[in-house]
Amino acid sequence: MGLVAIATSKILSSFSVFLFLSILLLAVARRISTNVLLFGVQSAVITAEVFATGFQEKLAEIYVVAAMVFVIKVMLIPRAFFVLTKKLKTVHDVKASTTPTQSVFIVAFLIYLSYAAVQSYGQEVRVPEDGLAAAVALILTGAFLMVSRRKALMQMLGLLVMENGIFLAALLTTFGMPLVIEIGIFFDILVGLLLMGIFTFRIRDTFDHLDVSKLRRLRG
Amino acid sequence: MILLSSLAIPLLGAGLMLGFANAKIATRLALLIGAAEIASLGAIVWQVHIRGVLQEGRYLRADGLSAFFLLSIAFVFGLVLVYSSGYLRHMGEGRFTSARWFYSLVFLFLFTMITVCLSANLGLMWIMMEGTTLASALLVGFYNTEGAVEAGWKYLMVCTVGIAFALFGTIVLYLAAVKDGVKSADALDWLSLMTAAPRMAGDGHLLKLAFVFVIVGYGTKIGFVPMHSWLPDAHTEAPTPISALLSGVLLNCAMYALMRYDAIISHAIGSGFPHALLLIFGVMSMVVAGLLILVQRNLKRLMAYSSVEHMGIIAIGLGVGGPLGLWGALLHTFNHSVAKSLLFFSAGNVRHNLGTLRMDGISGMSRTLPQTSAALVVGSLAIVGLPPFGLFISEFAILSEAFTQARYLVVTLFLITLSVVFGGFAHHLFKLLCGQPVRQPERSRLIPSEYTVMGIAAFCLLLFGARVPYVFRVLLQDAMAVLR
Repeated sequence: MGLVAIATSKILSSFSVFLFLSILLLAVARRISTNVLLFGVQSAVITAEVFATGFQEKLAEIYVVAAMVFVIKVMLIPRAFFVLTKKLKTVHDVKASTTPTQSVFIVAFLIYLSYAAVQSYGQEVRVPEDGLAAAVALILTGAFLMVSRRKALMQMLGLLVMENGIFLAALLTTFGMPLVIEIGIFFDILVGLLLMGIFTFRIRDTFDHLDVSKLRRLRG
Repeated sequence: MILLSSLAIPLLGAGLMLGFANAKIATRLALLIGAAEIASLGAIVWQVHIRGVLQEGRYLRADGLSAFFLLSIAFVFGLVLVYSSGYLRHMGEGRFTSARWFYSLVFLFLFTMITVCLSANLGLMWIMMEGTTLASALLVGFYNTEGAVEAGWKYLMVCTVGIAFALFGTIVLYLAAVKDGVKSADALDWLSLMTAAPRMAGDGHLLKLAFVFVIVGYGTKIGFVPMHSWLPDAHTEAPTPISALLSGVLLNCAMYALMRYDAIISHAIGSGFPHALLLIFGVMSMVVAGLLILVQRNLKRLMAYSSVEHMGIIAIGLGVGGPLGLWGALLHTFNHSVAKSLLFFSAGNVRHNLGTLRMDGISGMSRTLPQTSAALVVGSLAIVGLPPFGLFISEFAILSEAFTQARYLVVTLFLITLSVVFGGFAHHLFKLLCGQPVRQPERSRLIPSEYTVMGIAAFCLLLFGARVPYVFRVLLQDAMAVLR
């Protein structure tokens, strides 16, 4: 058991570094598949963090949540994305509107911003500042990916990164929401992704491309 | 039991509809299921009035506020269902664009909205609010044209991101509640939060943070101005019955969710902060949408911006608060849905018969489509808030409350916008109705299903203008009692 305890404390003290790393890599990744892979890794880090929290706080409910995160976000969603990219036969470029260098600087700035934002709340809710900052940084980076990548698939991925951040914030501050609610949220995510998948096919079939910045017919 | 049955009917109905490929049979079945659902909603409203609060398990509860919104959902849904029965005869038989898919999705959409109103738990409410987006996204993109796909995608993305903010706000509220000693199983329950609210006063800035996120999140769904970008597109590209449902029911449901949060936060830290935010968003939505109404070229887009404007009015009513402001805001949700349904129904007829919604391509409608024109005029007079109609009463209530509280800036902007909107609607209507007809309609008269619903809506607007019916006065009192 000693080993597990050590692993737990290591995970709890270092997961935020890995998350920061994952979003900085997301900023430079140019291929959709790399982005998806990074999302999978990021979710794996979060799974580890969920397990560690469950072990430390001795909350059995959290293990269920961890299992769900692992199955859905580490296995199911990345695989679905790969199938989707294959079926859509789209080019692999994410069509970024910022260069990788710019993106890294922007994400670094977002990380700085997250630290600034959580400073006053961190002490009050007795949560390690790094973890909370990582959660906020995930939310901000997700939003940044959504506005700066023009591929429809990348918008879905940005949304998922954002959701990871919200999930992490909930976990750190309150050890997660009640289980039923958590399950409902996962269900919503899955159905939402399914629908977005349907819409990407429709976009491709009606417009012959997947570049959402060119969807500009409706204005005013 | 009755709460469960009102959820089971649309859910089972949605599944059942898929088995009926024949459009005629599907339509009849949908009307039947709809009637059963309306009856069960009516029963809930009645039971709530007699027994106060209905509770089913830990997650479902109906109180006065839910009852009021359920009644308005039932009413608008009934109108929409009858209107759809005539509307769908124009629908082609595509793979997913058939009557059965349409009704199935509509019932699913209805199920999510009713669950929003019956949720005792804010988490469940959030899940179902996201569910409304998911259920209606395919309906918005139903026609599968370029515009519809674009509108559907935009709707899905904008609302999902917006709603994610509301989830964050809910988590912060949950955190504040747990921190102040509410048991974590109860910390999302609205009633326990209301009772615990005075204890949470110490966590003022957590609660403020929560409300900011919630108003931005659910505000996206309501269509408050900086977040409204999905709304005109979705309303324009969706099939007309869906536009009426989005505008008349969905926006109200989101407003209902916001009211619940507003009540908790106001209880805990006083109404100053949340109501100031509501006023800011309300005035902004009203003024911007009012100005945008002037420059619209598409009839349904015009209606959509008018919805944004009216959501602004309701937010202002909630923001000024007080008994009269709240009364006006609640009544306005109902009045607006009825008037907007009438307008969308007429717009749908225009599209069917003239083949376009572009207002520069339509003129002389009063000669070619006399009945539709009459409905359009009645609806427009009602929506701009002229006296013999219900919206005048509710807007007047909100205005007079704002006056008594000496909020002159709000009152001035409110009145200026109302006159701008009046001018805008008059300008657009004159162009549509007068002049030489450009094209001949398919048929100039309405079919029975159309004139029935339009007649009912118009009658209802007049009735509410003359005197708010007794039933509604009682329900409004119940609803307001819940929020105090």
